[in-house]
Amino acid sequence: MSLFDVCRTMAEWTAKYMFIPIFEFQEGLFPPFSNPAGDLANWFGSEGGLDTLAWLYAVNLAFMIGMTNLIIVIHLERKIAARIQDRRGPMLSFRSFRELGEDLAGNSPTWKFKENYAGIGILQNLADGIKAITKELIVPAKADRFLFTMGPIIFISSSVFLLVLFPLSDRFAASAAPAGLMVIMAAFSIAPIGVLTSGWASNNKYSMIGGMRSAAQLMSYEIPLLLSMAGVFLLAGSFNPVDIVEQQQESTWLFGLPMWNIIPQFLGFVVFMVCILAEVERVPFDLPEAEAELVEGWTTEYSGIRYMLFLAAEYIRGFTGAAVATILFLGGWAGPWPVPPEVWFLLKVYLIIIFWIFIRWSVPRIRTDQILELGWKKLLPLSLINILIVILMVEVYPYFSQVVNLPEVF
Amino acid sequence: MAEMWISMGPQHPMTHGLWTLKVKVDGETIVDADPELGYLHRSVEKMGERRKYFMNTTLTDRLCYASSTTWTHCYVLSVEELMNVEVPERAKYIRTIMLELQRLASHLMWAGAYMPDLGHITGALYFWRDRELFLNLLEVPSGSRLLYNYIRIGGVKRDIPDGFQEKTERVLKLFEQRLEEYADLFENSTIFRMRTEDVGKFTSTQAQNLGITGPNLRGCGTEFDLRKQDSYEIYEELNWNIQTREAGPGYSDCFSRYMVRIDEMHESIRIIRSCFKKMPKGPTLASSIPIRATGEAFRRTEDPRGEALMYVVGDGSDRPYRWKIKSPMFTTISACPHYLKGYKLADIPAIMGSIDICIGETDK
Repeated sequence: MSLFDVCRTMAEWTAKYMFIPIFEFQEGLFPPFSNPAGDLANWFGSEGGLDTLAWLYAVNLAFMIGMTNLIIVIHLERKIAARIQDRRGPMLSFRSFRELGEDLAGNSPTWKFKENYAGIGILQNLADGIKAITKELIVPAKADRFLFTMGPIIFISSSVFLLVLFPLSDRFAASAAPAGLMVIMAAFSIAPIGVLTSGWASNNKYSMIGGMRSAAQLMSYEIPLLLSMAGVFLLAGSFNPVDIVEQQQESTWLFGLPMWNIIPQFLGFVVFMVCILAEVERVPFDLPEAEAELVEGWTTEYSGIRYMLFLAAEYIRGFTGAAVATILFLGGWAGPWPVPPEVWFLLKVYLIIIFWIFIRWSVPRIRTDQILELGWKKLLPLSLINILIVILMVEVYPYFSQVVNLPEVF
Repeated sequence: MAEMWISMGPQHPMTHGLWTLKVKVDGETIVDADPELGYLHRSVEKMGERRKYFMNTTLTDRLCYASSTTWTHCYVLSVEELMNVEVPERAKYIRTIMLELQRLASHLMWAGAYMPDLGHITGALYFWRDRELFLNLLEVPSGSRLLYNYIRIGGVKRDIPDGFQEKTERVLKLFEQRLEEYADLFENSTIFRMRTEDVGKFTSTQAQNLGITGPNLRGCGTEFDLRKQDSYEIYEELNWNIQTREAGPGYSDCFSRYMVRIDEMHESIRIIRSCFKKMPKGPTLASSIPIRATGEAFRRTEDPRGEALMYVVGDGSDRPYRWKIKSPMFTTISACPHYLKGYKLADIPAIMGSIDICIGETDK
C-alpha cells in the first residue's frame, strides 16, 4: 500500500462527505442560474478529480514531513554545534514557563537552572520563529523594490519545492517522475538565480559581491556534481530514484552483502559529497554569505521573516542534498527487515547531516578562487575517472568475462 | 566588474574595534587600500598630564583591553626611570609572571578573534575558553578580571597569595595539553593552511621600514625581541629563546605569524615556570616612592603586539609635563596598503586578523 493509495482513499472520503455536499449545497442556492459549483461537484466525483485531490494530499503530507524534519535538523545542528564548542545549546522547554508563571503571579523568579532550564530546547525554534515574524520587514530606500521581493520568493519557493521531489521509500513518494533526480537537480539550480537577484536588488556592495560569488560558485561545482551522479545513472540505467535504489538492493558483493554504490564508486561519492556541500552553501563553501568580509553577504539587507525563511530554505536544501546522497550512494531505503524502509532512509539521511554538522563546526571557510580551482582542476577530473571506472565495470568487464571466462562479479 | 571602493567599517565584523578600511577592488582583487583611524581617540596623553603620576596607571590599563598589564608596566617603567626608583627583586619576578600571563591571555584573545575571521566559529570559543583560565589566574593577585591596575610605581600592589604557584601550574599543564589538541584542528588542517599560507606576505626589510614590530616582525624570521635586546625586569636572568618563524627566506605570511604566536605561548609558559623556580622572598613595593619628578625618561617594552614606547617629561610637579605613547599597532595598521594589495577580498579578514589589531592602543 503506497502513499498514493492512502491519499486516494482519503480523497474519496473527503470528496464524498465534504467537497461534493458543499458544492451541491452551493449549487442549490441559486437554482435559476448556471453555477460552477455544480461542475466542481461533478469533477470531484470523477476519476481525474479524485486523482488530483489524492496528489494534493500526498504533496501536502510530504511537505509536512519535510518541515518536521527541518525543525529536527535545525535543532540537531544547534545541539551538536554546542556540544562541539563545549556549550549546552538551547535549553528552553515547557518547564521554563514555570519561571514565567511565578513572575506573572507576582513572585520573584527563582532562577533554578537545573529544574527549569534543563530541557532539550526544542522550544527555541518556536521562540525564534515568533521573533522573526514580529520583526519589521525593511526594504532599503534605494533598493529595487520588485526584485528585492522576488529574490526571496525564487529562493524559498524553489527550495520548498525540493521537499516533495524525493521519495522516502518506494511506497512513500509524493512524486514519481521517471527523471526524478534530474528534476531535483534542476530545482536545486534555480536558487542561485534568487541569490543573484536579491544580491543585485539590495543596492549594497556586500550583497552584490555575495550574489556574484553565488553565481561563480555555481559554475565551479555544478559540472562535477552532475558528472559524479552520471556514474550512478549509468549503473542503474535510469534517473528514477526507485530504480536506482532497486539496482543497489539487487547487486551483491562478498558473502551476499549488498553492494551499494558507495563501494564501487567511492570516488564519485567523495566528489558528490564535496559538491553537494557547495550546492547547499554550507561551511567550508558558504562564500556568498561570508560573514567575516561580506557582513552577511547577499542576505545583509533582509530582515524579519524573510531572513528566517532564507535560513529555513538553506536547511531544506541541506536535507534534500543528504537525501539525494542517500539515494545515489547509500542504498536509499534498503536495510534489514524489521525496521521500516522509511526509517532506514531517514537514519541514513541524518547520518549524513550529522557528518555535515561536524564538518561545519570544525573547518574554516575557503576562498572564491580556491573553490573554482577545486571544482575545475580536482573534482572534474576525479568525476571523469569515476565515470571511466563505471564504464569499465558495466561494459568492458562483462564483455571480457564472456571471452576469457571470468567470474561474474557485477 | 568595474573597480569600486568598498568601505569596511567602522562597524564591520573584520575590524575588531572601531576603524574603517576602504578597499578598492577590481572584481575580488584588492587594488588599493586606505585605512582610517581615530574613531576611538580618548586623548589619553592629554588626560595624563592633568593627573598625578600614580593616577595614570588607571588610564594605561584602559589603553588596550586585551593586554592592560603590559601597557601599565611600560608606563611604570618609564616613570621609575624618571624618578630613579629601585624596585625590589621579588616585585620584578611577580611583574614578569604577570606580564607573561597577560601575554598568554592577549595571544589567546587574538587567536580567538582570528578564527571567526576565517569562518571558524568553534576556534573562537575554544581559545576564549582557555583565556578564561588565564583571566582567573590574573584575578587571584590583582582582584579584577580585565583592568588589573596591579603593577604600581615602585613594585606591585600586593604580594601573590599562597597557592598561586600550584594554581598556575595546574592551569599551565591543562593549557599545554589543549595546545597540542588544537594543533590538529588548526595548524595541521588543510583548509586552515589554504587560507593562511602565501597570504599577506611582507619581507623583513619591508617590515622594518614600515615600523612593523613584535610577532609580526618575528614572523619574518628576524630575531628581534625587546625582552632580550633591551632587557627589563628579570628577562635577562631567565633561560628562554626568541621565537621566530618564516614563511620563506626573510618574509612572513599569515601562517608564520600565527605560528610565532603559538610558539610564544609555549615560551611564555616556560618563562613563568622558571620565574616561580627562582623567585626570592622579600618586599614587593619600594620603601619610598617620590611623587615629584624632573627630567625626561624613555622606555620601550615588548607588548604582545610589538614595541610599546613611552616618553615621560617631568617639570618638578607631581604631574607629567608631557607624556607620549607610541603604539605598535598604529604603524602596523597604517602600513596595511603595502600588504593588502594584490590579494582577494576574502583575504582581508585573514590578513588584518593575523596582525593582531587592538584599536584601543592605536587611537589612544
